[in-house]
Amino acid sequence: MKPRLKLIGVAAASLFTCLANVNLALSATEPKFIEIKGEVIDTWCYLSGVMGGQDAVIGTAHHTCALWCAAGGIPVGVLDEEGQIYMVLKLKGEDSAEKSDNIMEIQSDNITAKGIHYVRDGVNYLIVEDVIANDGITNFNHEDYGSVPSNSFPENYLANK
Amino acid sequence: MSIFKKTFVYASCIITGLAISTSVSLAEDFSEGSQAKEFGLADEVKSTFSAKVVDLLCEVAGDCADNCGNGSRQLGLVRDADNKLITVLKNGQFSFNGPIEDLLPYCNKQVDVDGLMIGDPEEFSTQFYMVQLIKDAGSDKWNKANLWTKNWNKRNPEAKGKGPWFRRDPRVIKQIEANGYFGLGEKADIEYAKENQ
Repeated sequence: MKPRLKLIGVAAASLFTCLANVNLALSATEPKFIEIKGEVIDTWCYLSGVMGGQDAVIGTAHHTCALWCAAGGIPVGVLDEEGQIYMVLKLKGEDSAEKSDNIMEIQSDNITAKGIHYVRDGVNYLIVEDVIANDGITNFNHEDYGSVPSNSFPENYLANK
Repeated sequence: MSIFKKTFVYASCIITGLAISTSVSLAEDFSEGSQAKEFGLADEVKSTFSAKVVDLLCEVAGDCADNCGNGSRQLGLVRDADNKLITVLKNGQFSFNGPIEDLLPYCNKQVDVDGLMIGDPEEFSTQFYMVQLIKDAGSDKWNKANLWTKNWNKRNPEAKGKGPWFRRDPRVIKQIEANGYFGLGEKADIEYAKENQ
């Protein structure tokens, strides 16, 4: 092979490797079976900052708002202990935006789930095959933040009971 | 390999890397021509682009359903410019309304959208979308992405009364009646009210 052709070949191989790496980083990975432990959260309020800092838009403080968002069809996520969010696409065989009570009943709960994890363009997606443990709500942050947003707890609660 | 050849190879790789980085960062700027309203959200960037509306389960996992699940599935956008799958979290309304109602009429169709990319791309590797306007690709007429409340009213004719939909939603009311506003039961609600109201 002539030296110039060899040089072009090496450069082309380098280019291909660079392109392949960039493409892999941006697109998809193979699905993996995983076990994940984390809190079921409302992804919009957590990611957008619309209600304030992340510590305030989880747990008991944000429970009613999480119900509102889940009922509104906003994607529900699982926030794991490393701070990664997994968008739930399916919950035990049911589509995650199905208008049933199943997705509502686990809002703000700390769950351990088994399922299939996909990554596409930087987003974690999760098909929950089973919830193998549910510790219920374990983050009692309303003691620090009250209800977030404040109008998610009724005014004059005791008087109106 | 001579020093000259090594330098050439290294330089070509560096230039390629720079070119790719530049094209990626440029591809992520879709703000030109956007009419989106600002919301003051985390790292929000106006963003208008052409895309295909997709069923996320189908696109990601190959689990496809008729008409993108008829409202039971989360939907997304595959952007024409870079083939990137974008997760849509929200429609253009202020309250707690998702994007499914507004995207579903365009299932597997080409559209133009306008809205906001939000979220810290350093922390979450990407950003997420709030769709405010949508139209058939190439059409002149934008439609506001605000169908949630109208469609909720159609689905819940029995949920009458004062207040916004989310205070009258039967699924929400059922959970609050069972577990209270903080999810800890009525006793915790009463304690909170006594201490704070």
